[in-house]
Amino acid sequence: MFPKVQDEYIPEPKHTSPDEVETVVGPSVHVEGDFASEGNIIVKGMVSGNVKTSKLLSVEEGAKIFANVRAGDAIVAGQIKGNIKVDNKLELTESAQVLGDIWCKTFIVAPGALIMGRVSMDGLSIEDDKKAKKIPGLRTRIKEFSEGESEEE
Amino acid sequence: MYVYLYDNFLRQRKYDAIMKSIETRLTDFDIAGKIIRIQNFTNAESLIEDEIRHGGKTIVIVGNDSTFGHVLSRAASLQVTFGFIPVGPNNTISEVLGIPNGPEACDVLARRRKVNLDVGWVNNRYFVSRLHVFPADIRVEYDERFAVSSTKKKIELVVCNLQPYTWNNKQGTNYIVHPQDGKLEAFLCPIISQSIFGEKYEDPSIFPFEEMIVTSRKPFLVEADGKQSKETKIKIRLAKNRVDMIVGKERKF
Repeated sequence: MFPKVQDEYIPEPKHTSPDEVETVVGPSVHVEGDFASEGNIIVKGMVSGNVKTSKLLSVEEGAKIFANVRAGDAIVAGQIKGNIKVDNKLELTESAQVLGDIWCKTFIVAPGALIMGRVSMDGLSIEDDKKAKKIPGLRTRIKEFSEGESEEE
Repeated sequence: MYVYLYDNFLRQRKYDAIMKSIETRLTDFDIAGKIIRIQNFTNAESLIEDEIRHGGKTIVIVGNDSTFGHVLSRAASLQVTFGFIPVGPNNTISEVLGIPNGPEACDVLARRRKVNLDVGWVNNRYFVSRLHVFPADIRVEYDERFAVSSTKKKIELVVCNLQPYTWNNKQGTNYIVHPQDGKLEAFLCPIISQSIFGEKYEDPSIFPFEEMIVTSRKPFLVEADGKQSKETKIKIRLAKNRVDMIVGKERKF
């Protein structure tokens, strides 16, 4: 009665990211081990291990991370014991506590946030005086001294 | 050639009229074929293998979610096209696939719009829609990289593939899980408190994954596509593009 229809294959939709659903670590959840995701990560609980994402990492108030963190962007309101490396913007809110070194491009710190560590940012155009002047090393000084002595002789 | 697998519940009198109209419609489309009635103990895999040997090209499941799960849990690995005609209540998977209930499903079947669906693999069988681990003291290991446990003792675990996990958070966000996103999604809900009025669950923790191992000291109850069993260790994996399925235009992925 009706004409026969040929099979029509529907191509898979192109996903910009494999993780459309965000990764969420709940308040009473404990994660052990290296934890990586290609999507956004929200940490409300505890993570004992490296955290890595190319997108946004959000560490909420009360959350704790005991290892190094690497993210595209990050908003920290909890505690991090480890180094933080952020490709773009890092924001520390009033309740944030960081014990470790920080590398980022843009840094926003709210009053009340606590940091113990070194902060390094890309794009600094001021030259460091200590680095600009060449401080003679011990060997060169000895060399100069020995040369001076031989001239006196 | 089309092979139709009818669930046993369709023998009931109340389904006579609807089955007659479905069969008439299939004849109109010239896609009528062999009808096999399946029972609870029917091994779908060997049955379909036999039909493929005899020239079966399209296997059409006629029934509800439980029929769908019963057939595909064993037969998902077979190289054949699957179709689905939902009849009666308990049909939620058909909504996700965009297949209307009753005779209208024949139009979708005749249109032959096909997609390759991902399925989940648990221990030694497939699951198509979702896997549910009832609240238990479990430990979950993801992709052999990190382990998740709860400071509260019991956790409920839901792994979604076809069926969306309906959950509203405090901000009213709905999470929709697509069957083709290349990963399974695990929703972990620790129990915060228990009382005579029921259990209070925490907002779910969500982890997309490809492989997961769930372990416990005590046996825990697992339900995959409506089938329950007790296990102490389960390994859940994603089997990509395993099922060749005829779907409707209104599918939700």
